[in-house]
Amino acid sequence: MILDRNKLYSILFIACIAGYIWLYFSVTNEITEIKSVEVCLIKYATNIPCPSCGTTRSMISLIKGNFIEALNLNPIGYLVTLIMLVVPIWIIADIIKSTRTLFNFYLKTETFLKKSKIAIPLIILVIINWIWNISK
Amino acid sequence: MEVQKVDMFIMSNGKFFESHQINIIRDRLIALDDSKWPMLSTAQFNDPTTTLIVSILAGALGIDRFMIGDTGLGVAKLLTCGGFGIWTIIDWFMIQKATREKNMQKIQQFM
Repeated sequence: MILDRNKLYSILFIACIAGYIWLYFSVTNEITEIKSVEVCLIKYATNIPCPSCGTTRSMISLIKGNFIEALNLNPIGYLVTLIMLVVPIWIIADIIKSTRTLFNFYLKTETFLKKSKIAIPLIILVIINWIWNISK
Repeated sequence: MEVQKVDMFIMSNGKFFESHQINIIRDRLIALDDSKWPMLSTAQFNDPTTTLIVSILAGALGIDRFMIGDTGLGVAKLLTCGGFGIWTIIDWFMIQKATREKNMQKIQQFM
């Protein structure tokens, strides 16, 4: 799969819409409190939470305005909220103006993240977050 | 380049590329200058089987995508628990093709 502008935009857009639908479901039905419904394969198979488990709960508490609780549940929730707020607007603006600013930004971020000076601290951060997530 | 050399290259590296691309690669390599051979023969390609194993074991963390160089998609996969578990399963079947296409991109830098 060679990534071009339209492919990336459709993947991101579908992911965002799926995220919003999942969030709507979770808020209205309190689906996360039912133990049998788990989206995470790792948690389902091994009972150990993955690095990003708790993002939904974190985002729900963000919506309710409990910022500290959201940080305690999973800091990745903040990042995902930011992406889900910015990306759809950016994609629509790009399509209307028929530019490719988001795609160029994506490529730049990709090369930026590949530098080992940036990548290794980020990997360590994710692992620390994971250990914290397991111990919660 | 000599046909014998190119055939040797195809024989040892054929599994890294899509079957329909091998003929194109062969023709292009035969037309290629001989001075590119040392670079080409030492180029490293990702093994599709290895990425498949990584995808099955650690696909939910996006490690397979990081391995083949799709850092952006890897981050996306990591942040969403492997795309809510659906993308993980899709990638079990897609990752080998994606790896071969990445290898094709890599060899195109030499050609």
